[in-house]
Amino acid sequence: MTAVAPAAPTMATSGPDGSTGRKAPKATTRSGFDRMSVEWVKLELMRVAYATRGGFLARRDPRAVLGWYLLCAVAPWLTYSTPALAVFFAVALACALAARIGPLLLGLFTLGLLGQAAYVLVLVFVLGGNAAAIDGLLQISLKLGAISLASMAAFVSLDPEKLSDGLQALRAPAVLGFGVSYGYRMVSLLIDEFQTIVDGHRLRGTPPRGHGFLGWRTATRIGTIAVQAFYPLILNTAKRTRTTVEALETRGFAGTSGDDQGRRLRLAHLRFTLADAALLLVTLVVVVATLVLL
Amino acid sequence: MPAPTTVAAPPPAAPTTLVPAIEVRGLTFRYPGAAQDSLHDVDLTIEPGDFVAVVGGNGSGKTTLCKAFNGLVPHFWNGDISGRVRVHGRSTARRSVGEIAHDVGYVFQDFGNQLVRPTVRDDVSFGPLNFGHEDWAERTDRALAALGLASVASTHTWQLSGGQQHLTALAGSLALAPSILVVDEPAAEVDPRRAAVVYDHLTRLNREQGITVVVIEHHAELIARYARSVVLMADGRVRWHLPVREALARRDDLADAHVPDPQVVALARELVPAVARGEEPVPLTVDECADLLRPVAGAADVALPPTPSGRGPLLARMTGVEHGYRTVSGERRTVLEGLDIELHEDDRVALVGSNGAGKSTLLSVLSGLAVPRTGTVEVDGRDTRSVSAAGLADTVCYLVQRPEEMFLQDSVRADVGMHPRGRGLTDADELVDEVLARVNLTRLADRDGRLLSGGQQRRATLAIGLAMRPRLLLLDEPTSSLDLSSRDDVIAMLDALSGHIRCTVVATHDMHLVAEWANRVIVLDQGRVLADTDPQTLFASPAVLETARLVPPQVTQVGAALGMAVPPLSVDELVRRLSTRPTEEPA
Repeated sequence: MTAVAPAAPTMATSGPDGSTGRKAPKATTRSGFDRMSVEWVKLELMRVAYATRGGFLARRDPRAVLGWYLLCAVAPWLTYSTPALAVFFAVALACALAARIGPLLLGLFTLGLLGQAAYVLVLVFVLGGNAAAIDGLLQISLKLGAISLASMAAFVSLDPEKLSDGLQALRAPAVLGFGVSYGYRMVSLLIDEFQTIVDGHRLRGTPPRGHGFLGWRTATRIGTIAVQAFYPLILNTAKRTRTTVEALETRGFAGTSGDDQGRRLRLAHLRFTLADAALLLVTLVVVVATLVLL
Repeated sequence: MPAPTTVAAPPPAAPTTLVPAIEVRGLTFRYPGAAQDSLHDVDLTIEPGDFVAVVGGNGSGKTTLCKAFNGLVPHFWNGDISGRVRVHGRSTARRSVGEIAHDVGYVFQDFGNQLVRPTVRDDVSFGPLNFGHEDWAERTDRALAALGLASVASTHTWQLSGGQQHLTALAGSLALAPSILVVDEPAAEVDPRRAAVVYDHLTRLNREQGITVVVIEHHAELIARYARSVVLMADGRVRWHLPVREALARRDDLADAHVPDPQVVALARELVPAVARGEEPVPLTVDECADLLRPVAGAADVALPPTPSGRGPLLARMTGVEHGYRTVSGERRTVLEGLDIELHEDDRVALVGSNGAGKSTLLSVLSGLAVPRTGTVEVDGRDTRSVSAAGLADTVCYLVQRPEEMFLQDSVRADVGMHPRGRGLTDADELVDEVLARVNLTRLADRDGRLLSGGQQRRATLAIGLAMRPRLLLLDEPTSSLDLSSRDDVIAMLDALSGHIRCTVVATHDMHLVAEWANRVIVLDQGRVLADTDPQTLFASPAVLETARLVPPQVTQVGAALGMAVPPLSVDELVRRLSTRPTEEPA
């Protein structure tokens, strides 16, 4: 999603010109949003990745956040009661808002959830369902929604370092922790590069011949470019990592979790405080109470 | 494995009876699957406290040799190896790469890929933490302080300038307190001025902490200014290892290795017969050169009329342009502020200014990829707001800084042909062939652009631009990360651009390009135009140079030191101007 998202708004405004060559200026006016919106998406992703908005979970110990996430992600699967699921959903939504997940994720989430609900609803009626089906539909939507919201709240609040430290503290392999933090580091690079490559396709590729019926031409063009842009992206990344691998060798990261001393030093700054314990306890109580009472 | 401390390293003037820092005996190495040896019977001794520049042409084995110093050869690259490498008297064969990293720090040529953690502090502490040093925090702070990075310690590495990234990579090696530092082409990916900052730091570490420094370098000016001895590699062998002054006097050997004379040496050779005959040592600095030339110069200077700058018809106009972006932390940064610029036909514009001055943003606004927040940009009579970027691409071509981002297809030919074919030109094939021939890439046309050398990649991107037949050509740093002969190729090619292209704008840090190619220089500083003039006037304006932190080419500095009112822009020009007076004897 991260890579394809910036492509769409960039090209949507490419406009029905180009093949017409150098004719009189078009009546269309570019507001400047075609490029700005790409920048905005990029920025929003970076802010999500690096937890720059703060929020109540960002202050907690990463282990507590991971524990909290585990509770929130498992709980919805343990019940078939719609009211209980509604409570989970409400709590998860409140947490996500308190964790300041930002407009992009919230928007995508709403769009996804509503879109999915809508098409399943249509499907249900086409196939001759009844009211019971709607309840089932509501249940699965609430379940997935609650889990998604909890995931967003947790991962928006963990910057890459905290996440990788948290994983390491929980005895995950060192490679996993490193991969997470390295992956995050590459995100901005890759987005920038992807944008440049897509721009290259826009400028140098075959110009669009109008939007077509229901914009099918534009859609095809966006799809084709998005796919084609991956090829240079992957090759350039492969070239990059050669040095990275050599550098890791010289910097003592052999990719095995053999060195316990390094792990101890790296994690020495983690503090599991009373507040962290309280967070887990309160979440547990809420979950258990909801499951038992509703 | 206790790490040796740098304090114990001997001072630079240490007697040679000490154990050599690096001792290579009979080293032969062949990469797995390679047809011939990358290193062949190499013998080399590097004394502790030395500052060594390793030079040599492409494929001469420089990098392989340096990777043998820190054990990447043969521990990481296990090819056929014989011979011995000793670091401080200890063989590298039985020690791990990690262990040797405490003796030999290594900074790669593409140092950006050496950084693996999000922030500067995290990255610098990565090594010490991995090796489990209890004092990792102090080591990190020391390394950051030593390279002046303390103020950016919590910055994300991707937000740093190239120069700062390079220093971060250096700090990451330094945190392990090595007594030897190997830096592969410090000037390759940052402009020479920024490379000079890295060199100043290396010199200080060398002088104050006695750290032995080994650099791979082909900028003779940097070698002359900073190195103490030079190792010349050719065909996998060490041809010689000489003190820097003797080394720079061997012009033919260096030319073979694609290391042209620094301008001060070239000047002295042209104008001082004793230097040309090898009776007098070559000058290494601008001051030495000016002292040598003073008797020759006398009052003979004849100012040449400055090249008339083209004031053809108006091609593009920016009026009151303001543009900016929002940062990760949320606030808005203005990059361009109230810009009014007119570009005329026959203008060869060099856009200069320090990083973050807004050069790239200006180019992307001019290309129509971005439309300004306020103000208007008109190119060829069309407001960029009324045309899509794709529509504008027939008029304006923007070549981005990293060539690999321009390669969208699997062969150079396909990339060059992409635009003309996409527009359905009937003569697309002929056009592509013609353009490829012009940049001298016909032979390599079916190769993937990514697999070409740096200079070839630049030529391929130029070909892509030429095939678009733009009226306005925009280039971002076309000469960065090129060796000097490829750089001269690109400058010559820009010189030869004509025909369809009416105006070229080049954003650059390269003052040689400014001096030798441009007829107009626009100096940007913090999003505003600081000066809009010709190169001569720019180089004669110390205040502007100071504010924009520009360093003129050596020949211009020599001219200034000789008291010339109109600064010379090239070695040829200075030689011509000084030779108008008959010299004592023919060289």
